[in-house]
Amino acid sequence: MVTYLFRRILLGCLTLVLITMLVYGLIRMMPGDSVSAEYGAMDPGMKINKADEERMREARGLNLPWYFGYFKWAVNVVNWDAENWRPYVDLGQSYREKRPVTTVIGERIGPTLMLSISSLTIAYLLSIPIGLYATARGGRVDERVISTGLYMLYSLPSFVAALLLQSYFAVKLEGTWLELPLHGMHSSSLEYDEFTTAGKVWDIVQHSVLPVICFTYGVLAYESRFIRANMQEVMRQDYIRTARAKGLGPIRVLVHHGFRNSLIPFVTLIGLTLPALLSGAIILEKIFSWPGMGSLMFESITTRDADVTMGLVLIFSIITLLGQLLADLLYAVVDPRVTYS
Amino acid sequence: MTEVDPLIPPENVAQSVPVPSPIGGESTVMFGGEATGSRGFWGEAWRRFRRRKLAMLALLFVCFLVLVAIFSPFIVGSKPIACHYKGVTYYPVFGYYNPNWENAIFSKPPFFKKYKESLFEKDPKNWVIYPLVYQDPFRRIGEGERENIPENRSGDQGAPDKFSWFGTDQNGIDVFAQMVHGTTTALLVGFVSMGIAAAIGIPLGAMAGYFGGFVDVLLSRILEVVMCIPSLVLILAMIAIIEKPSIWYIMAVLGLTGWTGIARLTRAEFLKLRNSEFTTAARALGAGPLRIIFRHILPNALAPILVPITFGIASAILTESALSFLGLGGSGASWGKVLSSAQSNLAMWWLIVFPGGAIFLAVLAYNLIGEGIQEATDPRLREAGK
Repeated sequence: MVTYLFRRILLGCLTLVLITMLVYGLIRMMPGDSVSAEYGAMDPGMKINKADEERMREARGLNLPWYFGYFKWAVNVVNWDAENWRPYVDLGQSYREKRPVTTVIGERIGPTLMLSISSLTIAYLLSIPIGLYATARGGRVDERVISTGLYMLYSLPSFVAALLLQSYFAVKLEGTWLELPLHGMHSSSLEYDEFTTAGKVWDIVQHSVLPVICFTYGVLAYESRFIRANMQEVMRQDYIRTARAKGLGPIRVLVHHGFRNSLIPFVTLIGLTLPALLSGAIILEKIFSWPGMGSLMFESITTRDADVTMGLVLIFSIITLLGQLLADLLYAVVDPRVTYS
Repeated sequence: MTEVDPLIPPENVAQSVPVPSPIGGESTVMFGGEATGSRGFWGEAWRRFRRRKLAMLALLFVCFLVLVAIFSPFIVGSKPIACHYKGVTYYPVFGYYNPNWENAIFSKPPFFKKYKESLFEKDPKNWVIYPLVYQDPFRRIGEGERENIPENRSGDQGAPDKFSWFGTDQNGIDVFAQMVHGTTTALLVGFVSMGIAAAIGIPLGAMAGYFGGFVDVLLSRILEVVMCIPSLVLILAMIAIIEKPSIWYIMAVLGLTGWTGIARLTRAEFLKLRNSEFTTAARALGAGPLRIIFRHILPNALAPILVPITFGIASAILTESALSFLGLGGSGASWGKVLSSAQSNLAMWWLIVFPGGAIFLAVLAYNLIGEGIQEATDPRLREAGK
C-alpha cells in the first residue's frame, strides 16, 4: 500500500512537471506578454520608453528562453522557510494586480469550491434516488419520461441553459418575488455591507441559485443514467433472484442487494467529476460574473498574467490527479477484492 | 472467394450480396454455396442500428443538417444563384463558399446590394435567380434591395416575423441566415476535428496496445498527461497563441486535444486482439507489424473506436459554439456567435432559443447515434438488450 502510494505520488509529480512545462511553453508562445498588456492599457501620455520596457521584461524573467523561464518558475514553487522550519509555496507575482499569486488565487478558491461542492452534493443526493426509482419502474411510462428527460438534460449545453435561466428568472420575472439576480456573487458592496449576517447569507444563496442549477443538472443527468445502467446489470444477477425468492421486500432487494453491488463503478465517478466541474467553471463563471477560479483563468490568459495562469493550471492539475488517486483508493475501500500491495 | 462452386450461378459468387431467399421472408446472404444466414459484422450492426428508432431519427437529422450545410447559400443568401448579364451567365452564389469564386464585378457598386436594378438598367432581357430566402448572414439587408422586402429591424426590435423567420440581432443581421450558414461551421468542426483526433489517437493507441512494453509505458504516460489537463484550459491557451483564429485553426486545436479517448479505447482493443488467433496466423504468414495493425487488427477494432469518435463530434460542436460564445471563434457565421449576441440583451429570446435549440439538437443527435452504434456493435450490450 505504502509503496503503491509512493509510486503514484512520484508519477503524479512527473505528470505535474510535464503539464506545467507544456502550458508554460504555450504561454510564452502567445503573442504579447504581461508587459505589453500593461503597456497597452496605459495612458498614452505616460508611455515608457523601449529601454524601460526591456528592463521590465528582464525583471519578470520574460527575456529568458522558455525552458529557463520554466525552470525558474518551477524551482521557485516549493520553498523552505528556514526560520519557521516549514515549507511554503511561492507561485510568483500577479503583474496585473501587483499582488502575490497565492493571495489572488486564494481569494477565488472559496467561490469556486462553494459552487462545485454544493452542486456535487446536490447531484449525488438526487441522482441516487432517481436512478433507483428508474430501475424499479423499468419499462413503465414514468420511467420512460424520466429517462428521456435525463437524456435531454445530458445533451443540453450548460451555457445555453444559463442564458435561458437568466432570461427567464432575471429578465422575464423581474419585479416579481421569484426574481433572481443576474450577475455576481452578492449585491453591490455598498448594499451588501449593510445587510445583517442572515441577510448576507440569503443574498449569496439567491445569487448562487442559477449557477448551481447550471453546474448540477449535467452531472445529475449523467450520474442518474450511470446508476441506472449499472443497476440494470446488477439486477439480472442470480443473487438478486435468490434474495427475491427468499421473500425480501422490493426496496430491500433494490437497496441492500442491488445498489450496494453497483457502488463500485459509482464511487470512482466522484474522483472524476470534480475536474470536469472545474473545466466547466470557466464558461459558467464568466456568464454569471462569478468571482471564482474559472473566470480568473479566463482573465489571466487574456491579460497574459503568466504566473496566475501557471498557478491555476497547477491547482487544477493537482485536483485532477488527487481525484484520480482518490477514485483508485476508494476502489479498494468498497471492493475488498482490490488491493494495492 | 477464389473457388467457384459449381452449384451456384456465377453472379451470386462474384460478390456475397444479400439475395432474396427462394422461400421468401428475410433475405439471406449466399456465401460459398450455402445459405448461412450470416450478414457479416457490419451488416448485422446496421440491422441492429436500424431497429433503434431514435438513433435512426438522429441519423436522419444529421443527414438533413449535412444537406443544409452543403446548400446553405442556395437556401438563404443575398447573392443570386445565377444571373444573366450582357450575354454571360454568372453564379455569384459561390462567393459564399470562397470569395474568389464570385466575379469581382458583383462585390462592388453598382452591383453590390443592387443586383436587380443594375442588371435590368442596361438590358431588360437579363434574368436573375435568387436563393429561397433573401437575407444575408453577414450584413443587414437595407431598404429597397429587393422589392417587397423592407429594411431589417435592428436594436431590440427584431422579433421573428415573416421576413426574418428567426428574428434579427442588434445589428439587424438575420438570425435564420446566420443559423443556416452556421450549420456548415458546426458540421465541419465536428468532422474535421474528430478526423484529426482519430488520425492521432488511432495510431498512438494501436502502437501502445500492439507493441506493449516500453512503447506502451511511454505512450500511456503521454496519454495520462494530456488527459489530466483540463481541456478547455489547453484549448484557450492554444487559441491565445494566434491573434485572429480562423475556424480551421480551432478545428486543429480541438483535434489536437480531443484524441485521448480514442487512443485509450484503441489501446484497449489492441491489447485484447494482439494475442488472438488471426493475429498469430498473420504473423506466421510473415506479415509485418504495420500490415497486421492496419489490415488485420484495426478492421476488427473499428466498431468500439467509432463510439468515442461520435461522442467526440458532439463535444467538438459543443466546444466550438462555447468558444464562439466567448468571442474566440472564427470569422464565419456560427451558432455560438448568435448566442453571444443574446448576452447584451436577454429579453431578446429569439437570440437564445433558436441557436441554443440548434446546438442542443445537434449534440443530442450525435449522442443518440453514438449510443446506437455502441448498442449495435457491442456484444455484451446486445445480450442485455434482449
